[in-house]
Amino acid sequence: MATKTGFNFDNYQRNLFLEHGKENNMKLPKATKTGTTIVGLMFKDGIVLGADTRATEGPIVADKNCEKIHYIAPNMYCCGAGTAADTEMTTALISSNIELHRLNTGREARVVTAMTMLKQLLFKYQGHIGAALILGGVDCTGPHLYTIYPHGSTDKLPYVTMGSGSLAAMAVFESKYKKDLERQEAIDLVAEAIQAGIFNDMGSGSNVDVCVLTKGKVDYLRNYIKPNVRKEKEQVYKFNLGVTPVIKESIRNLVDVVEVNEMEIDQ
Amino acid sequence: MINLDFLNPVEDNNGLETEVNKEYLENLNVPTFDIPLCNNPIEFLKHQTEAAEKCRLSIVHGTTTLAFKFKHGVIVCVDSRATAGSYIASQTVKKVIEINPYLLGTMAGGAADCSYWERELGRRCRLYELRNKERISVAAASKLLCNMVYSYKGMGLSMGTMICGWDKKGPGLYYVDNDGTRLEGDLFSVGSGSTFAYGILDSGFKYDMTPEEAYDLGQRAIYHATFRDAASGGIVSCYHVKQDGWTLISRTNVKDLHYKYAEQPKAPLV
Amino acid sequence: MISEPIPTAQPARQMANRFDPYEDNGGTTMALAGEDFCIVAADTRQSDGYHINCRYAPKAHQLSDKTVIGTSGFYADGICLVKRIKQRMEWYYHQHDKVMSTPALAQLLSVMLYQKRFFPYYCFTILGGLDEEGKGCVFDYDSVGNVERVKYQAEGSGKELLQPFLDSQIGLKNRATDDVLDLTEEKAIKIVKDAFSSVTERDIHTGDCVEIYIIRKDGIECEKYPLKRD
Repeated sequence: MATKTGFNFDNYQRNLFLEHGKENNMKLPKATKTGTTIVGLMFKDGIVLGADTRATEGPIVADKNCEKIHYIAPNMYCCGAGTAADTEMTTALISSNIELHRLNTGREARVVTAMTMLKQLLFKYQGHIGAALILGGVDCTGPHLYTIYPHGSTDKLPYVTMGSGSLAAMAVFESKYKKDLERQEAIDLVAEAIQAGIFNDMGSGSNVDVCVLTKGKVDYLRNYIKPNVRKEKEQVYKFNLGVTPVIKESIRNLVDVVEVNEMEIDQ
Repeated sequence: MINLDFLNPVEDNNGLETEVNKEYLENLNVPTFDIPLCNNPIEFLKHQTEAAEKCRLSIVHGTTTLAFKFKHGVIVCVDSRATAGSYIASQTVKKVIEINPYLLGTMAGGAADCSYWERELGRRCRLYELRNKERISVAAASKLLCNMVYSYKGMGLSMGTMICGWDKKGPGLYYVDNDGTRLEGDLFSVGSGSTFAYGILDSGFKYDMTPEEAYDLGQRAIYHATFRDAASGGIVSCYHVKQDGWTLISRTNVKDLHYKYAEQPKAPLV
Repeated sequence: MISEPIPTAQPARQMANRFDPYEDNGGTTMALAGEDFCIVAADTRQSDGYHINCRYAPKAHQLSDKTVIGTSGFYADGICLVKRIKQRMEWYYHQHDKVMSTPALAQLLSVMLYQKRFFPYYCFTILGGLDEEGKGCVFDYDSVGNVERVKYQAEGSGKELLQPFLDSQIGLKNRATDDVLDLTEEKAIKIVKDAFSSVTERDIHTGDCVEIYIIRKDGIECEKYPLKRD
């Protein structure tokens, strides 16, 4: 059988039957969602991207400190919201293709190229790839900031937010964003927007990640602010030895030790 | 002639409608329930019990209960687990409801439905006793319960119970459920684990067992049901109904039974 | 070339435009009974979906000098239920010239919940307090009034995370050693605080603050313990 690239649809019909068949009402397992606040803005010399670090599975926090700002190219990073696996795989795929593109053309890839690749991929899958992205980067034509929706539409704006905390974050941007912010001002504003998401949106939480992209330089500030450090517990929960009963004991010899007379080997 | 007047308390007040009498009679009436004020109250909340619903009314379910008559009376054995979906809501539920010193009811289906209606049954049985100066028969008691839940048929009650006791006719055992079914029988098992329990019961049942053999059979049947049915487990309670009322025989953790039975040699297949 | 029509996912279940009387406002409550005290605790976050409606909406309410109730689930049903219980207690007080005991209240609550069997209160209730002998007691309910007296119990959105912890630390379940639980009030409060701070870590509907009611024979004390707000 020929190996095919891309998605494998072998179980599509079976799963459809399991979900909707007459006697069946099985549910597909839940995918991990980032349930996120991600933001990006343009400042005087470039782009600042920001993200929270909570990943959820329904009402349960799956990861308290995940990374949502993904690498695309040395001059480009991309924040992802939506289905965790989809954002990771999509950005990784485009990252590879951008690198191939750079090797083919012999020049640094442009942000608009990555944006086009992403939107074409997402449009092709008609929203079934649940990735909502904020793409930021600086290339030979200057800084660029895009949002890409799961169905493939895009926006190019000076300040953007995405994810379940997008409204909380946008409220901060709408009230405080100015053109040509200084670097530190921009970082502070992004951090404030992310924290608005962290505290007011239950899908977002834990820490603030920031990524500053300027001409020829990237500063990835992982856990730039940690506003949610857990307090020390009131007591230590240690179990006494022997709380787990030993019901059966069996020891297997993985190595046979054989007594050999050294003198015999020498001979 | 048995006096059944209390079933219609308004008629037995001899025209004396004093305030106290009225209040007293109101208390004797069939309890009333709030229902949604809409055209079809039964359909109104039906979707709320579906698994996909966000605000799901998960009512506690899942059980193995059994009871059988034999030479020395009636044996009642139950597990103690309550589940709501895949969550174990409790491992310590009392599934044998002690209606009075001579009557036992078991609990399968909605826990609240069983305990509420069997408590109401207990109240009515006591009234019967006071009026007729003798204890109610198991047949009559089970019929009272059956009639009560039958009047709510189709409204969503969930109850599968066995009423066990001893009366003038000897040991009594009746199965009553929310559909209004009422059956007399020698051996019943109710709940999600009942099929496993029946397997053990039917192969080991002998009418002239000693009480000790009967206790072991009942416990074994429940244990094996808890082993195969994830919705059953916890503690096995065993009751024995004799002529002078019921006694609690044992409460044993299924874990202890598991290791006890594991040590014993398996019975040969005949 | 496509030889047969590609099956498309069936449209989601036809949703009639019906009125949904319930909402899930999340929140976690717990109670535990000691020898001569009882603790009832509930977080104060009130939420809807991913949105926080209120960071301080108390879910535990004092009913008498001996009893505290905690409700979670649909907040409106919870406060409605509490209001009606308080009314019934008032009537009882005027009729009998005494305050209702915790076990009596527990039975009344069961009947009140069952009264609405065909239009239930969407709330998960725990009643904690001291019984007639002054011993700690906890009563756990489902939404239609099934009641059970227990030693400790967790309810609400974080119950799946909390109950196993209590089973391990207070129930001392599944231990081969003969550990003896010496549950002092101080230790119990520590366990409650750790329980809630742990649930807050992993349950998004729980957080902001936990109110811990400590019921002793000489009165009730309420301690507030801050939780993470993210």
